Amino acid sequence: MTRKLKKTGLIISLSFLILFLLSATWLLAGGDLLIKNATILTVTGDVIPRGDVLVVNGLIKQIGQNLAAPAGVRIIEANGRYLMPGIIDTHTHIALSGTNEGTDAVTPEVTMAEVVNADDTSIFTALSGGVTMVHTMHGSANVIGGTNVVLKLKWGKPSEQLIVKEAYPTLKFALGENVKQSSGTLLPGRPQRYPATRMGANALIRSELLQARDYMAAWDRYEQLKKSKNPPANLLPPRKDLRLETLADLLRGKLVARCHAYVATEMLEFLNLSREFGFKIGAFEHAWEAYKITNELKAAGVGISVFIDSWAYKMEAAEGIAYNAAYCTKKGLLVSINSDSGERIRRLFNEAGKAVKYGLTRDEALKLITINAAKQLGVDHLVGSIEVGKQADLALFSQHPMSAYTRCEMTIIEGEVYFDREALLKERAAASTKKGDLS
Amino acid sequence: MNKSLKKRQPVFIRPLAPTLLSLVLIASLFFPLSARAGSPEVKPAYALVNCRIFPVAQPVIEKGTIVVRDGLIEAVGPAAKVKIPEDAEIIEASGLTAYPGLISAHTNLFLETKEQAQPPSTPEDYLAAYTQPAEPKELPWLKIIEKLKTKKETVEAYHKTGITTVVVAPSEGIFEGQSVILNLNGDEINSMVLTQPWALHINFTTERRVYPSSPMGTLAFIRQKFYDTQHYNQHLQKYRQSPQLLKRPEYDPFLEALLPYVIDKKTIVFQCNNLEEIKRALKIIKEFQLKAVLTGCNEAWRVSQELKSAAGLPLLVTLDFRPPNSSVYAQEGQAAREKAEKEIYPANASNLAKEKINFSLTSFGLSESNFIKNLRLAIQAGLPADQALRSLTIEPARTLGLEKQLGSLEPGKIANLILTKGELFDEKTKIVKVMVDGTLFSYEEKGQ
Repeated sequence: MTRKLKKTGLIISLSFLILFLLSATWLLAGGDLLIKNATILTVTGDVIPRGDVLVVNGLIKQIGQNLAAPAGVRIIEANGRYLMPGIIDTHTHIALSGTNEGTDAVTPEVTMAEVVNADDTSIFTALSGGVTMVHTMHGSANVIGGTNVVLKLKWGKPSEQLIVKEAYPTLKFALGENVKQSSGTLLPGRPQRYPATRMGANALIRSELLQARDYMAAWDRYEQLKKSKNPPANLLPPRKDLRLETLADLLRGKLVARCHAYVATEMLEFLNLSREFGFKIGAFEHAWEAYKITNELKAAGVGISVFIDSWAYKMEAAEGIAYNAAYCTKKGLLVSINSDSGERIRRLFNEAGKAVKYGLTRDEALKLITINAAKQLGVDHLVGSIEVGKQADLALFSQHPMSAYTRCEMTIIEGEVYFDREALLKERAAASTKKGDLS
Repeated sequence: MNKSLKKRQPVFIRPLAPTLLSLVLIASLFFPLSARAGSPEVKPAYALVNCRIFPVAQPVIEKGTIVVRDGLIEAVGPAAKVKIPEDAEIIEASGLTAYPGLISAHTNLFLETKEQAQPPSTPEDYLAAYTQPAEPKELPWLKIIEKLKTKKETVEAYHKTGITTVVVAPSEGIFEGQSVILNLNGDEINSMVLTQPWALHINFTTERRVYPSSPMGTLAFIRQKFYDTQHYNQHLQKYRQSPQLLKRPEYDPFLEALLPYVIDKKTIVFQCNNLEEIKRALKIIKEFQLKAVLTGCNEAWRVSQELKSAAGLPLLVTLDFRPPNSSVYAQEGQAAREKAEKEIYPANASNLAKEKINFSLTSFGLSESNFIKNLRLAIQAGLPADQALRSLTIEPARTLGLEKQLGSLEPGKIANLILTKGELFDEKTKIVKVMVDGTLFSYEEKGQ
């Protein structure tokens, strides 16, 4: 009897092991590639003027000269063109079925990871500009929006395979004009949503976080009573409140705040809140006046995710300067350039390139859309540079990606080619000869 | 009243028979028995003879007889084997084919369609529209049967497509309310009812100006309501056990309406208008261990693997082939959209059939003529005709928990059947007679 049991146990554990191995290989199953004779912009190391990159199972296996491709592995001849890590956009709203839950000013219960739309053609637009990863976010209509999600732009794959689970879980906050205007002060007679001012926004965040503290305390009390020797007969768990659960996770350090803010004062207010409640800030979004408070931001260890030079498009951006990204970088802040758009996303390399005019070197500018972005999303151990062991998310450019004359020729995620300009042009030429055929 | 007694309490039928007979006689004074199009005839027993029979559960009978009595099928079989009762009226059906009545497990039949609100045009209208707070539409307690206004013309139009049984579901809000299953046997609603209520219907809609107004908000809202129902139930149970120990929970009509579905696991139907909504529904069903059915599902083939691993989850697949706005087919221009509507979406059902995923087909979102047209398109796209028939008969009967009463031509089942000239899904086929609950409707055209 026992022997039989043991045997079944063995079989069960063996089959689990096999299942595990199968699923593990499935997880690793990326593509195999050899890219030859590229100018390799490693970002974290030196530029390799003429080198090869070998990719096995979606990971960078080897970087060097005259590498040989294992049998059957596709070879991409770069002919001296520029190979860089896939571009990472730290702030966008593509590939989602919704942007704002704008009916309420506080909606941390909503989860963008649940509304990923892998059919959004913006994904392909982004790939055509060398972008491989995005931090796609709740909008800025609410003081507290929802939790955001980091995606790899694996065009054609089902939505759940796009989600990058290793990235920081982040929660969107927003301050300033967008929140105020979403509260509907412009239409006379329209019911006003609280808050309609900056101090209102600040007060609302405070009161929500205080509620979250009470909520945590209520659950702690309940758990303690439940564990006690004689739990009271009328003991009931507190109501599970998804709104407060998310805020409690922020206070527990399981979530990182990403705060949309333009002016220096509101950023300083938010830093105070984070100190008071002990939560982490991942980055300030847009942060046009960050240059005024670099010391404070540096002391708090908070980075910024910004546009390069589209300042003054609204009142709160009036004191924005095109030197913001470059200046803050020189002051030691972690800076990334974002698109916030399904169109600008395809020329994010141009946006970063402009930073060269405002005082950065090409290498420094390149970091704004690669390793810095990866650090802000908590994935710099996986992507953001060309290093052995990292995931093979790569983009091939005709000229230096920080040059105004460059264009993206190929975009690769985990060793699989998702955008190939030459192949597409051939396809298009073939399609145009067959009139009326759409495929 | 008599009719419903007849169905539910057969024991009392005999003493009532003379009364019924006299009622029929009196009625016949007012309604001459000549078979006008659509005029119902009610007889104690019928024998349909010499017809080809598709019983669905058994092989096809080339020349057979169906005996119907008191709204139920008494006998089905080859002509030689079925004895025709003396009192039965014989209906000569040579050249006709008999099928079980079709079931559309999701319709909005008899529901008053609201006029589409015009977008505000003048500044005054605009202000007026935005100064009134929108009404929340969440009515989980709504029983749609109370809103239905039956129409003879609608019943006849459905009969002509072969549909004799429908689920009528509510169509507004996220928690839309509770549906009813009707047998289209006339125009008196109470005598039509098969199951009331059948299921709670949930839609991931966002067309509103109150919370929630986004897909992610809708998901959070649904989850929060389910958690609240669990908590409410916990409190109620504890209170019922020992009312002296804790205060009663405050009565909550919303959560009360959800209790049978979230706690007692009555059927919840999720409206899934694209592949992501199917995935979202699957996740929630698993999280809360619900007894569920998915409806809509016109992108079901794109999630066939997920649906396979959720084995046993019934699908109600609409024959509406318009690609959802979120799909890649809708984003790449009019030509791509039309191509998808004509070629890709019609293959949904046949793709599911290839993957051996069970499903029912529905007429949801379609006019009667488009239902038939699209059914033929689905068959052209590779759905075997016999499977099409099953997905409109025995499959939905199972999903609706009515497999003992409906879905095939077998003794003891409800006499819902259709008689056609030609095979059911052929282009030129006409439905000439329909029987629902044993009531006969004739749709022969004049001069035939």
